[in-house]
Amino acid sequence: MGLGKKMADFIDARLGIRDILEQNLTKYLLPRNINAWYTLGAVLLTLFTVQIATGILLLIYYNPNTDEAFRSVQRIMNEVPFGWLIRTIHAVGSNIIVLALLLHMLSVLFMGSYKRPRELTWVAGFLLLLLSLGMCLTGYLLPWSQLSFWATTVATNSSQELPMIGDAAVRFLRGGAMVGQPTLGRFFALHVMGFPLLFGMLVLFHLFCVRRVGISRPPFGHDWQAPPPSTTFRHEEHPGGIPFFPHYVAKDAAIIAFFLALLLGVVFFAPGLFFPPAAFEPADPFVTPPGIKPEWYFLWAYQTLKLLPSEFLGLAVQGVAVTLLLLLPFLDRSPERRPSRRPLFVSAYVLGVALFVALSVWGHYS
Amino acid sequence: MEVSSRRKFLVLSLSTLGALVAGVAAYPLFRYLSPQPTGGEKGRVNIPRAQVGAGQAHFFQFRGHPAVVLQSAPGVFAAFSAICTHLGCIIRWLPENGEFLCPCHAGRFAGDGKVLGGPPPKPLQAIPVALSGDNLLVG
Ligand code: HEM
Ligand code: FES
Repeated sequence: MGLGKKMADFIDARLGIRDILEQNLTKYLLPRNINAWYTLGAVLLTLFTVQIATGILLLIYYNPNTDEAFRSVQRIMNEVPFGWLIRTIHAVGSNIIVLALLLHMLSVLFMGSYKRPRELTWVAGFLLLLLSLGMCLTGYLLPWSQLSFWATTVATNSSQELPMIGDAAVRFLRGGAMVGQPTLGRFFALHVMGFPLLFGMLVLFHLFCVRRVGISRPPFGHDWQAPPPSTTFRHEEHPGGIPFFPHYVAKDAAIIAFFLALLLGVVFFAPGLFFPPAAFEPADPFVTPPGIKPEWYFLWAYQTLKLLPSEFLGLAVQGVAVTLLLLLPFLDRSPERRPSRRPLFVSAYVLGVALFVALSVWGHYS
Repeated sequence: MEVSSRRKFLVLSLSTLGALVAGVAAYPLFRYLSPQPTGGEKGRVNIPRAQVGAGQAHFFQFRGHPAVVLQSAPGVFAAFSAICTHLGCIIRWLPENGEFLCPCHAGRFAGDGKVLGGPPPKPLQAIPVALSGDNLLVG
């Protein structure tokens, strides 16, 4: 008997690990018609792990001080061995994560998986999306480049239009009248501790919901039926389904490899893709660089603010859109999940995606 | 038989691939975390002679480590690593006794670096000093 097996037996005799593994791997059955979109959750878990690992490494050399921040990032890029690699993976990774988040959300939307009994899974997921955007926003300031400084100035400035509390809100977000050391301090704390802790707890809750309720059956095929309404808890079983391990794990691994290849492809072959020229100049509070734009995933909001006659209206529209999405499972309550039977929803879905893309492209070229 | 040899092949190729990927990732990580050359590893240090009075000691950084230069008698200069040879604390100069004391376990060294008492096993490591004009050239 090998040493490995002895150790496994020792642990198993005390904690019953083999049983847990079996229940969650080989005996965990997924719907037979499960598709590749269900791998995006695993993709996100992987990408966030990469983000956390590279983030901790960057903390070794990064200095959250307005006099030093830009130089410390320059040092990471130019002097620390492989610092460029760690930093570029972290910066590009944030963009790939937003892409994966949007795809995950869109697939869940299209298949109606947010519906009862998965409302809480959806709400936790949507909050994760907002938190991720918060991490993108706070992380963007840290290099203290012209881009960081002015993007943050504009982003914090938009809360000026909140009725009554506008000015106070801007000052509070910035920790002062202008973006400066107090802003860097609070953004740094949020980016490396505050948001990640909240984020970790929410991810655990999200995964708990997914596992406890059971994976939904994709709403395709002739024999699909809405589950009977139930007021008590019921775990969705898939008798005769395919095992999570090894079948679905192989699919997870393939799509994860695809996303990692995309990430590394950008890192190695188009490292400048997400770095406009203003990212290479240190912040100067007295000179606004021309044509400053937010990152691609905030362009829709940027363009909305530009198009609508008043900033307040713009903020209100954005607030309503976000709230509607957050509460969607409580507004759209019919048990029907098949896209072919939901023409109204699918039309709104297509229009919504088209509007997002159109506003973003317009914002990019305007 | 058929299944188990396929499984063996799969496990073997996947673990080889995994090991390769881990190696490729580990090298940059190791380099990223490795201490970097601080530049002054080879250099000599210039100290104005006036900073080191007779019977006085002057502490400074030498190739990344604390060091001390001492004018033990008028015109006689000696330099040492300031790291105690016992467990690495930094020695102090006691002008009134004319000796070095290590505060950690009361190791004592003479002005020429020899051990006078306490646990240190070896004399202080000496560093060459030369006078050039008004400067002391250490290293
Ligand atoms: C950090 C971000 C996130 C992580 C790590 C994550 C992780 C996961 C995982 C591992 C699954 C199970 C496998 C799958 O269906 O993909 C899942 C399912 C789900 N996620 Fe997420 N997710 C995240 C963000 C979101 C967002 C932004 C939403 C929507 C706004 C969302 C809504 C859902 C829903 C409704 C399910 C259930 C799918 C079903 O059972 O059919 N998640 N998530
Ligand atoms: S370290 Fe100096 S006497 Fe122990």
